[in-house]
Formats: sequence, C-alpha cells, structure tokens
Amino acid sequence: MLKKFTLKNYKNFKDEISIDFENTAGYQFSTDCITDGIISKMLIYGRNATGKTNLGKALMDINKTMFGGRNFYDTGIFLNADSIDKTAIFSYEFCFENNELVYRYARLSNQDLRKEELLIDGKTIFSCDFENNKFYFENLEYINAETANVDRYKQSVDSGDDEEFQVLKLPFLTWLLSNVALSNDSILIKLANYARRMLMITAGNEMLRNPRIMNDSFYELLEDSNRLKDLEDFLNEMGIKCKLILEKLPDGQKKLYFRHEKLVPFDETASSGTLALVDLYRRLIPKSWAPSLLYLDEFDAFYHYEMAEKVINFLKKRYPKCQVIMTSHNTNLMTNRLMRPDCLFILSREGTLTALCHATERELREGHNLEKMYISGEFDKYE
Amino acid sequence: MNSYQGEVRRRSQNLLIVEGHHEKNKLFWLIFKCFPEININMDEIWIYGTNIYQLYNDIVKEYGAEWAEENEDIDLPFVISKKQYPDKLRYKGDFTNIVLVFDYERHDTNFSEEKILAMQRYFVDAADMGRLYINYPMIESYRHLCQLPDDDFSERKIPVSLQPGKEYKALVDQETIIGSKVDFPHRIDDLLEKRFRVSDAQKRKRCCNEILGISSVSSMENVIDNALQEVVAKSILPTAKYLLVDWVTKQGYVHTNQTYWKYIRGVFKQVIYHNISKANRIQYGQYQIPENKYKEYFERLDLTEILKVQNLVSKDSITGFIWVLNTCIYFVAEYNFRLVSD
Repeated sequence: MLKKFTLKNYKNFKDEISIDFENTAGYQFSTDCITDGIISKMLIYGRNATGKTNLGKALMDINKTMFGGRNFYDTGIFLNADSIDKTAIFSYEFCFENNELVYRYARLSNQDLRKEELLIDGKTIFSCDFENNKFYFENLEYINAETANVDRYKQSVDSGDDEEFQVLKLPFLTWLLSNVALSNDSILIKLANYARRMLMITAGNEMLRNPRIMNDSFYELLEDSNRLKDLEDFLNEMGIKCKLILEKLPDGQKKLYFRHEKLVPFDETASSGTLALVDLYRRLIPKSWAPSLLYLDEFDAFYHYEMAEKVINFLKKRYPKCQVIMTSHNTNLMTNRLMRPDCLFILSREGTLTALCHATERELREGHNLEKMYISGEFDKYE
Repeated sequence: MNSYQGEVRRRSQNLLIVEGHHEKNKLFWLIFKCFPEININMDEIWIYGTNIYQLYNDIVKEYGAEWAEENEDIDLPFVISKKQYPDKLRYKGDFTNIVLVFDYERHDTNFSEEKILAMQRYFVDAADMGRLYINYPMIESYRHLCQLPDDDFSERKIPVSLQPGKEYKALVDQETIIGSKVDFPHRIDDLLEKRFRVSDAQKRKRCCNEILGISSVSSMENVIDNALQEVVAKSILPTAKYLLVDWVTKQGYVHTNQTYWKYIRGVFKQVIYHNISKANRIQYGQYQIPENKYKEYFERLDLTEILKVQNLVSKDSITGFIWVLNTCIYFVAEYNFRLVSD
C-alpha cells in the first residue's frame, strides 16, 4: 500500500505537500476507513481552485512515469509558476508486506525526467541523475537484478550534446522491469502491480459533454444480459429507479434505452447524475482487476446527498483494501457516521493538506457535528 | 474597489450566555488567558445576559412549547439576535463556540425542574447547539477550595436555606484559597487605578500584562520598573515598584520560574480535577479517582444525571442541601482533555 506521497513544485503546489496515509488518530468508529493501519478511504475538501484535481494528477504521475501513456504534445504548465526550482519532485513511499520502498523522481516537464531514485528498506538500490549523467547501480543484487546490462541502458538515455535530438528518457525502473527477469514475488513486481492499478476518475467533464464517448465498447459489454442487469441493479441501489434495455439498430450499432411504455433513448435523456453514475460504473466495475488506488475527483458533483453516501458505502464494501481518495464540496459527507476526523481533509489555498483532527486544538469526538464546525470556521486556519 | 464586493460572512464567532454578572466574564477571561490553545479572542466574544428561564421562554416563543420533545434544531444566536437586534440577525452556523453558564437557583420563583432538565439535556455541545453549564449553587463554587488539595471538597454542600448570592459568596470569601490567586490581575489593576491614579485603562492593561508575564526573580524588579515608567508619576514610582515587587513575591509563583498565567493554569487544573472527583461522587458515589483515570471518569459524567441528583437532594426546603460543584470550568477539559492532563 501507499504510505505517503510527497510533492513539490508541481502546478499550484510551490511548497512541499504530503498525503500521509499512516497518520491515523485511533478513533474507534468508522473503522472501515482504515485498512491495515493505513487510511483507505479519504475525503478531501477545499475551496475552489485550491488544487484538488492537480493533487490527483500528481498522485497518478507514477503510473504515467512507469508505464508511459503521456501525451507527447502535452507541454502545458507543469512546474509551479512562482518557483525558481527547475524540477518538480515526486516521492512515493510504499509498504509491501514487510518491506519499505521509496521511489522518488524529479521532472522538468511531462516529458523530461531529470532524476530518479529507488530505495528499499533505507538502502539506495539505484539512482540516476540524467542531467549530469551520473548513475549509481551498485545495489541491484538486492533486488536480484544484478544481471541487468546497465551500460545498454546508459547508452539508450545518452542524448549526447545534440540539443536538437533529445531522447525521451525511459525511467530506469521501467527499463529494469522489462529487461530483467524478476521473480513473481519481487518487490518491483509488487510496485508495478500497484502502480498499474491506480485510477483517477473525474466526474463529468468529457462524458457529460459527449455521452456517446462511452458507447461502443461499453455497450458491447452490456450485450451480456447479466451485465446489463448488474448495471440496472447498481443504478437502482444508488437511488435511480429505472429499467434498462439494449437494442440492436438495423445498422448493427447498439443503443441503450430506458424501458417505459415507449423506449426512451438513454444518451439523449439521462440526467447528469445518471450519466455520472453510469460513467463511474463503466470505468470501475467491469474491470477484471481491483484498483489499488482510486482518485475520485468531485465524485459526487451531480449526486443527491443520499446517493453520495451510498456510493461511499458501496466503495467501502466492494473495495475494502483499495485506497480511495475522494474530493467533494458536499459537506453532508463530513460526518463521523460515514467518515472520521483523521480521514477528512482540507486542502488550503496555501497548498497544505490537513486532517480535521489536526486542524483544531479541540479534541474531536464521535458526537461532534463536523459539518457544522467546518461551516462555522472551526478549521479556518487550515482552509 | 472591486464592484463585485458583497457582504462578507463573519465566521468563528463565540457566544457566551450568562446571567448578567461580571463574575462569569472574569472567570472566562482568565480561562482563555491561561489556556491560549482554546483559540478564542476575548475581544471577539458576544456576551449576552439573561436568565435560564427567560432564555427558555425565548426558545418557546420561536420554536413552540414542544421544542424539547420534538428535538427542534435550536439556533441560539438567531433567537437572541432576533430579540436584541432584529435587523442584524446572526446564526449558529457562524459560531464556533456557544457556552451557557447559569447558577442553580433553587430560590428563583421561576424555578422549574422540568425546564432546567430540558435545557441541560438539549444543550450538550459547545461546538454545535451550545453547551449548558450549571454551577451549584453558583459560579463562585470554583473558588470553594480551602486548601490544595482539599479532600473535604468531597462532602462540601450547603443547606438549601442558605441564600446564594450574598450569603454563599461571603462563605466562599471566608474559606477560599483560590480567590486571592485568581483575583490578582484585578487587584493590580485596582491598585494602579485607585491608589496610583492611572486613569488610562489601556496603560493599566499593558502594565498588568508585563508584570504578570514575569517568570524570574532576578529580572522582576527591572521589569516592574520598566512597566511603570510613564504609567505612574515619577514621584510615586519607587513606592509603586516596591509594593508590586512585594505583591508578586508573595504570590510565590515567580520563585518556581513560572509566569502568572502558567501558574494559574496549574491552579485551574487542580480546580478541574477536584470538580471531576466531586461530580463523580455525586453521580456514582465515589470521590477518589486513580491518577491516570481522570479522563476516563470525566467522559462518563453526565450533567443531566448530576442535575437530577441535585434536584432530589435539594427538594426539602428545610433539610435539603446542594452539593457544591462547578461545571463551567469543564469547558477546558471538554475542549481537549490534554490541556488539563499535561
């Protein structure tokens, strides 16, 4: 599991900001927000434009770093616009069974990796300084990777002095994973396994603008009547009472309808809440693998408050081990009935992330009305 | 100027509802001074004077006679502001603390077991609807310790026939060991104003603060001398200085290298511990609490149960009595028990 994520100089986060999943406060209620001593259900609040989405993107960066999927043309703002530092720093601290693994790197932009370092149980396994061409590969045997031909790697990342011909630096970690035969219980495999299963879902943007985006492959899935029934059950359980039917059009395309006396086309009539919920379903539930980490940005932007609660309860039940981070403006969820003061966070304009229990000197108890306290300014020094 | 500017919502306000007397303000002023962690600026407290039955009636007027049974969501800032400044309504959503402090006035012609119980049952959270603290027989009970520690506090009670107000106050003044300690800031202020003719309240306040901040014997004279410069007349400065040095020395805390505030913080902790023990004695019949169990015992206390006991033992107007107990100082322990346990 991910124990701690630290970020610096990325987008609006000029100073260092951390998500510390280990910093729990021992509450005896809502214990399903904690898994193996680590926060597994986290809810982040914050005023508009404090960086809730950016934080999610940053957290997902390891996934892109290790497995690609970066848009080469995405040259948008990456570094903090007020900082003089030349790179953004990402640090991930994991715990896999009894081993601690730290993977840190620095990048100048989406494309340009400047430094990379891996530590296991406090020991540096390798470190690469691409800018100064300094490499350290002394402890590869510690992860049974001493057979790696590191010279070939060095050659592949050496762009020489030719400024015109800048090679996209392949992280050594990624190279190692595909060039060395690692055993299945290798800690690197565990890391890859975790990072690959990280998922970020932003409610509503593209999908609401164009619901057809989700059509084709998803509708193919729904051809299985069990799957369609499952979707219908999911919608009903979350509070949308409806019956669905999938019809095949003469041209072979499939189309989803609400079943009434007459069929009502789903694409054109589904409400924003329904679309958002179906999108969550589509991107999450049919997957053959369970996510390791889920960043649900503004997850309930279109939900009724009861549906928002139901979705959280569903996530707790269905993905007990998954580290789910949700962002929201719905203060109704700020309750000890559902969450707890060490799992509810405020992201401030200054770029600090503080759990409610650390945002006041008052000792927060189960009976406290956290929502009312938040609104009346109890935590205003950290907002 | 930004033409989109609208009204700014003022949050983090505090409301202290008391029964008209200055004693309560003074006590809370001192508590907030000694426990700065409780993030309340004394200048930003809205103090509202009323009595508990009047407040009860105001609630009835707004929410109906059945408010307690129907578990209405009572908004005290709204109720009070509607009465006091109807064109400037305030709402509990802007208040981080609402504290109600009342005396247990058995003699009040309006006394009603039912109403006072309903109030005690409903007002349980300072950070939400408000927290009611009833002091038995009145606020001065926090001073009613004769030594530290005071094991006799366990059985301290007063006959119901003893009139609170004058008679009880006189009794406490006679017996208290706390009074001269907690009154010290006011005594210095009085001295400066009445004897040394410092009429500027701001100057006195600054001077007092400097004197009370002293925590070492060696610098005491110097600090007091500096604090008095340009506050009292040159001709009487030496007299004032030596008198204050004497006063501060007699309080004794400087010798232990503490400021006055730190010292009184310790005194408050003891007062709170005594009153936790006492409440435990009233509710569960046991006064002695193991040293490391105060928090646990404190959390078991129920002010409604204690009120019921007090109602019962004070029922008979001749043989009845009231257990001496101060609950409003629990505010500190409820805020965060760490403040009184470190």
